[in-house]
Formats: sequence, C-alpha cells, structure tokens
Amino acid sequence: MSGQRGPARLEVEGLVVDFGGLRAVDDVSLVAEPGEIVGLIGPNGSGKTTTLDAVSGLVSPDAGSVRLDGEELVDYLPEERASVGLVRSFQDCRLFPELAVEDVLLLAEDAKRPVGVVSTTFQLPWARRSEREKHRAVDRVIAAFGLEPFRRHNTSQLSTGTRRVVDLASIVLAEPRLLLLDEPTAGIAQRESEAFIPLLRRIREVADTTILLVEHDVPLVFDLCSKVVVMEVGSVVSSGTPDEVSRDPRALAAYLGASEEALAVSGPIRAATSSVPDDEPATRGE
Amino acid sequence: MSIPSWVIVQGIINGLSYGLLALGLVLVYRTNRILNFAQGQLGVVAAVFMVHCYYDFHFNYLFCLVIALALAGAVGAACELLLRRLFNRPRVLVMVATIGLSQVLFVLTALPFIRPKKLYKPFPVPIHLTFSIGTYQFTSGEVLTLIVAPIVAIALAAFIKYSPWGLAMRAMSENADSARLSGVWVRRASTLAWILAGVLSAFTAILNSPSQTTSLTDVLSPDLLLLALTAALIGAMVNLTVAFVAGIGVGVVYEILVANLSSTASQQLVLFLLLIAVLLVRVGALQKGSRLEARSTWLEGAVAVRRTGDRLRDRVGLIGVVTTTVIVILLPLVVGVGQSFLLGQICLYAVIALSLTILTGWAGQVSLGQFGLVAVGALMANHLGGSVPLILLMPFAGVVTAVVAVLIGLPALRVRGLYLAVTTLAFALFMEQTVLATPCFNLPLVHRALCTGLTSPASTLINRPTFLGLGLDSERVFAWFSLGVLIVSILVVRLWRDRGVLRRLVSVRDNEAAAAALGIPIVRTKLLAFALSGFMAGYAGVCVAFGLERFETTTFDPSFSVLVISMVVIGGLGSIPGAVLGAVYLVGLPAIFGTTPTISFLTSGLGLLAFILYLPGGLAQVLHRIGDLVTDGVRWLQRRRAPPDGTAGTGPDADEGPTPALARSGEEALGVTG
Repeated sequence: MSGQRGPARLEVEGLVVDFGGLRAVDDVSLVAEPGEIVGLIGPNGSGKTTTLDAVSGLVSPDAGSVRLDGEELVDYLPEERASVGLVRSFQDCRLFPELAVEDVLLLAEDAKRPVGVVSTTFQLPWARRSEREKHRAVDRVIAAFGLEPFRRHNTSQLSTGTRRVVDLASIVLAEPRLLLLDEPTAGIAQRESEAFIPLLRRIREVADTTILLVEHDVPLVFDLCSKVVVMEVGSVVSSGTPDEVSRDPRALAAYLGASEEALAVSGPIRAATSSVPDDEPATRGE
Repeated sequence: MSIPSWVIVQGIINGLSYGLLALGLVLVYRTNRILNFAQGQLGVVAAVFMVHCYYDFHFNYLFCLVIALALAGAVGAACELLLRRLFNRPRVLVMVATIGLSQVLFVLTALPFIRPKKLYKPFPVPIHLTFSIGTYQFTSGEVLTLIVAPIVAIALAAFIKYSPWGLAMRAMSENADSARLSGVWVRRASTLAWILAGVLSAFTAILNSPSQTTSLTDVLSPDLLLLALTAALIGAMVNLTVAFVAGIGVGVVYEILVANLSSTASQQLVLFLLLIAVLLVRVGALQKGSRLEARSTWLEGAVAVRRTGDRLRDRVGLIGVVTTTVIVILLPLVVGVGQSFLLGQICLYAVIALSLTILTGWAGQVSLGQFGLVAVGALMANHLGGSVPLILLMPFAGVVTAVVAVLIGLPALRVRGLYLAVTTLAFALFMEQTVLATPCFNLPLVHRALCTGLTSPASTLINRPTFLGLGLDSERVFAWFSLGVLIVSILVVRLWRDRGVLRRLVSVRDNEAAAAALGIPIVRTKLLAFALSGFMAGYAGVCVAFGLERFETTTFDPSFSVLVISMVVIGGLGSIPGAVLGAVYLVGLPAIFGTTPTISFLTSGLGLLAFILYLPGGLAQVLHRIGDLVTDGVRWLQRRRAPPDGTAGTGPDADEGPTPALARSGEEALGVTG
C-alpha cells in the first residue's frame, strides 16, 4: 500500500495490444491530469475496454507503458495496481453473486487493511479492532448511498442499477487515486443514467481521484468530462476538450457521426440532472 | 541407465493407450471446459460387455467390437445428456459429477447382462501375430495396439479437420457463445464430443486389456488416468495432436522408468515431478485456454451463509444444534465399543469434510488428494506420536501439512482453472505409493537414510497417547475426544466464515477479475484456502492415525479422497452442518448396510450424482427446510395460545422483527426472481 494520497496523474504511452492476429489497441497514448475526468468514447470494438484492461492489468500489452505519477505499472499484477490506488469498475458489473452487499463493501476494506488468518483465528485484539473499523466504514458508505435495505441481499438478487450503486460504493471505499469506469450506465435506463451524473461528480469529490471514463452516452461524457478522447479501430483519432472534439471533423466521422441531435440532447439532460435527488440511487434497472 | 530398444517399443505401445485417453480428455475439455474424470471408465462398460459378447454369445470379434463401440458411444452420449442439466453450474460441480459418473459406470460393469460369466478368461484378440526384440516377445494384443491405435487417431484427426461436425466442435471450443450465434448447434457438438470420448475410451480399454493380468473391471486405474491427464496437459487441454504425441512420450518415459527404477515408489515420484513440471512449463498456454471458465453461477447449490434475520428461526436452529450435541455427547455412554469407534470415525471424517468445505465450497477448487494430506498428519503421528504431546502434535502436524499443501498447490493454483484436482490426484498416488510405502529413502549424496514413510508399510502399529493427562485408550473416551476435535473445528470454521476469510475466498471464486481490481491477491487467496484446508486435514490425520491404531498404505487410498468430496457435495457444498451430515451419511450408512465396493460406490457415486442434479443444496438444505417447518409450527402454536388481541412487543411474534418484512418488500421493489 503506497503512502501517497490524492488524485494521480495517468500517462499511457504507445500502448499496443494484440489478440492473435487482431490488433485491438494500436499505439494509444493519453494523459489524465490529477483530478481530471477524461472520457474515452468510440464505436463498439474500437478498443476502449481493452485499453482499460491494459491499464488495470487484466491484459498484458504487447508494447507501451502505463505510468501512475511516473511509476511504471506494466509489470504489476492487477491486485498490485489496485494497491497503488488504481481502481476499476466492470462493464458487466457482475460483482460477486454469492456475497451480500455488506460483504462486497467489506472486501474493498479488506484490501486496504489486510488481516492475517492467524490473527483472525485467535481473534487477536488488532484483528477485532480492524474488523470493527471496517464495519464502521462500510456502515457509513451504506448510509451515504442509501443501500441499507439491501445490506444483506446477495448481489445476484439486485437489479443492475442497484448493483452499479454497490460497485460505486465499493469504489469510494477503495479510495482510488485513479478510477477507471467502464460504461457505468450500461444496462440501466436513460432516466436512471441521468441520476448518475451527479453521483459520479460526487464520487470524484468524495474520493478525490482522477477518473478515466469509458461511456457510450455521449451527452453524459460531454457534460462530465474536461477532456474527451475518441477512439476508432484501436487508435486515438481525436482528443481535447468536449468543445474541441465536438468540432473535430475526424471525431464526428468516427463516432459522433450525424450526432447533431445526439449532442443536442445534452441540453435538456443538463437541466434535468440538477433536479434529480442524490440520495435515491437505488434505481431499478432495465 | 540403460534403454534397450524393446523398452521403447513397449513404451510406445502403452503410450498409444494414454494418447487415446488424452484425446478423449481434450475433446471433452474443448467443448465443455471440464476435466472429465470419468474418461477412463466411459469405455470400460463396453469393453467388459465385449468379453461377454465374445465368450458367452459366441459372436465373432468384429461384430462384438462394433456392438461394444456403439455401446461406448451410447454411454458417452448418456453421460453428456446427464451433465447437460448442469450447463450453467460451476465447472467444479460438473467435474465432481464426472467423478460420480465414473463410480456409477464402475458399478454398471457388475450387472449380469454386461459382466461375462467367467471372469478370468483372456481378453479376446482377433489376430495371432507376435514379434520379438532380443529376448522380449510382444504379444498379439500389443501388435494389435500398434496397428489400430494410430489408425483411430488419424481417423479422428481427419474427422475433426474435414467433417462439418468437426468444424462445429472446433468453433465451439474457440467460443461457445459466438458459435451458437453463428448457428452451430452447440449441444450436438457437445454430444458428439462425448460420443467420441466414449469410443476412444473403449478403444483404450479393448486394446489395453489383453496385456493386463488383472481382472477386467480394474483395467483403467487412476494411475492410467493420471498419465493421460499429463499428456492432455502437455497439449494445454486443447491441442489434440500434441496431446496424442505426448501420450506416446509419457508412455516411453514411464517404461524407461520401470526398466531402470526397481521400485514403484521412485516411478511415482518421477511421474509426480513430471506432472508438476508440465504445469509449470505450460502455464501460459493453459491460462489462455481457460478464459471462459469463470462464466457460471454458484448460487444454486452452494450456500455458505444463510441469512434469515428471523430470531425465532435462529432460536429453533440453536436449540436443534444444542440438543443434537448433547445427545451425541451422551451416546457413547449407551452404545457399545463398536458404535463408539464408529462415532469417533464419523467425527474425524466430518473434520476432513470441513477441510474440503473451505476449499471446494468456498474457494471453488477441488482436491482429489485430501487423504494424501491426511496421510501427512498420520505420518507425524507415526514418527512423533511417542515423543510430542498430542496437544502440540496436532497444531504442528497441521502447520506441516499446510506447508505441503501450499507447495503442491502453487503450480496448479497459479493457473486459472481447476488443475489443482490433477496435481492433488498425483500427490495422492505419490503419497500412497512412494512416501508411505518407503520406510526410509537413501539420500544419494549425503549417504544418509531419510525415514519419512510408515515404519512398517504393510501394518503400522501405534499406541494412543494421553491428551492432557486423559488416557484415550478406551473407545468411549476416544469418541469424546474426536467429538471435541470436531466441535472446535466447527467453531474455528464458523469464525473464518463470519470474520472475513469466507468473503475473500468467495470473491476470488465468483469473479477473479473484480476481486483483483479491488486489490484481493488472487493466487495468495487460493493458496490460503488450500493451506487452511491442509491444516485441518493434517491435524485430522493425527487423530485418524491414533483412532485406527493400526494402519497401512491403503488406509490412505485416493478413493477415500473421492469419498470426502462426495460428503461435502451430498451434505451441501459450502455449508458447515452439511459437511457433518455428509460424513454421517457416507460413513454411517455403509457401516449399517455393509461396506462392499458396490454399496459404497452406490451411496457415494450415485448419491453424488443424484444430489448434484436434484438437490443441489444437499442434506443441509433438507435440514434447513425442517428448521423452517418447525419454526412455522412453533409460530402457529404461539399464535393459537396468544390472546386474539395479543399486544405487540411482548409476544414472541415481535421476535419476527421488521427484517423479513423489509426484505420481502425490498425484493418486490427490486423485482427479484428467486
């Protein structure tokens, strides 16, 4: 566990990932300054998730480097990256089907404050204290995210929307310095995804972290991110502020396409989000 | 080291059988992602029937062969049909089901219309061709293998390469989901793989049997399966050509070992090391092939923790447990010596089952060598029982066994997948045939003897020590001692369940990627599970040894490890009371109905299959239902006794609390579908 705190700077340089003969990620470079929310958009199969996988260590890149505050991460295992503050969510958000919501959140604490099995077996003072503290931290987060009714539910019993909230709650507990979010609104209805914007903003404030966000919901990305990176068939075709990207013909051709309307939607959403109460995240999915 | 050429030829002949078996293993793995432990037994029924057909019905060889192969294919298809019901269940469970299948198939060979009337007639061979190299003469059966096995392998290769069925099977092994989307009939491809596996297994049995002197039903032993598994692993479980060639290679290596090493002990050692080396070398390829393995739900069947939040229900459970405990404590006072001994045995088996509850139920891995670990504990009792007090010996044996577990677990648990089952099977055979069977090894360089085996492999006698001054000689006292060990074990396992160990193990089992993303170390967590499991098996082994007082190498036969797996599945995977119930069922029942192999295979093998298919929650689920019923009954009685306007807060109904109601409404709000 590194002693460093606060948002980290992510620097990806010349990232290449091959799947057999297929080059899924081709020479991708991007930088996320500390505290920034960077959006990664692009059509299906453009390599967004693979880029996240490579940054979080689930696939090992064939070339390139991933640096967190200058520290090279390419040779780290996923769990080692997690311990330096790199936390990610998953698109499918399966979590752990047999674990209760409470247990999922306690896991995030376990990684931060590991207790040896011998101490647990003999219930040594520090093991008991640590377990108590973990429960206290989890209680706070459960209250903050309105998860109390689901505390003892298995995650497999939850709707997709609620599972996403649990996922975000565990992310807050994990105290990330760099957060990778893979389509946090996938599988939940448009109305609920609007509720995610303030939630995500709040997470950035509470967790004090840099965020790299992969998302299909273009208005949401443009609303939330200070920088947007557009990918197509494995390469970065455009990057910059939302305004720059929305005017970049290459970005428009690659993904935004005839998205005059798509962009126009962001107006009403911006208006709507302010009225969505933050304390009702347990929305019903599908 | 000398390698005469006849040894090589002999090796190739045996290796061809291993290769054919390995082909079957790979075929099933590619389509179903399971290690098929029934592969060896699939064709045995057919081979046995072939003898029946040839000698008792007097049909000609070719006709019997065709019938037998058809039968083997049918057996394969039937197995697939059975396992298809488990399509969405954890791969571990399907793998365990194949173990049950192999036992049931073994029982089938005893059926009167399959078993030949005279058991010890030589296996029929259609040709009379022999040749000799030097003084060694090769029999007709061996010549037949040399001719037929390569033809079978080539025919299979052609089938897979050129037929549309083969293409479907290849597509499915690449990606079952997209194969299905592009119109491949996944189920048919899977059925076909099993039919082929059955036929291949039958070929192995039919070609291998003429050279065996043992009785027919014993042709395909775990040793043979292990050699085939090694070959299949060299092919990374997906490459048919490599697996077949590797099978031949393994056969040659094995024969060279047999020719040069006098004892089976050293042969087993080399094979064990070979398997570990294969796993270490092929780690990358195996990792790549197992990406799809994690896609299954554990929920149905594996229930480690039940959350009721109903205080009356909890009280009913507690009363039940306390009453049972008191009755069992009093039991040795009323029953005889024999039953007291049995009670002690059940308790110790329950401890071993608990060790597997952690590993299989929580961490989702299977050990086929749990009795190998028990044997490590027994060896500690053998060598240190006289000098170290029992209270220290038990934890010490536990720690030593945990270290052994970590060492054998490391090569397998580094790889995603269920390869622990393979290394532990190898370990079990290695323990039985090498470590236990060799009182002393002569260390070659330092010229010292290392005495780690049983002091007398055929029959080792040890005396029961005292436990904190308490003599354990009487069976009654030993039953109490075993019960005490069980109770302490249960309390410790409950602690691990409730205070943070369970959630770590389950997280890695349920979703490796997400657990890693949260910072849970994957390999270390899996090793922790096996170490805890080994710890319990180790101290249980000390008790088992002292309980038996006289034991031998076969006391720790790998088949007992399979029995323990059956216990935890029948009891209810992941459940603590389940492990105890499983032990009562599988040790208690045979003690009442007799212990012939048929009976024990029926109770364990058939029981295993029946529970996996029809009662995935096991006996624990039944027990839980009974608890629910009793609770409902109590509640009904209370309601009848209470005045109609029974004020809330004082009546026991208040115990129901807000939790269930809340849970119910919460479930409604979420649209939970059970």
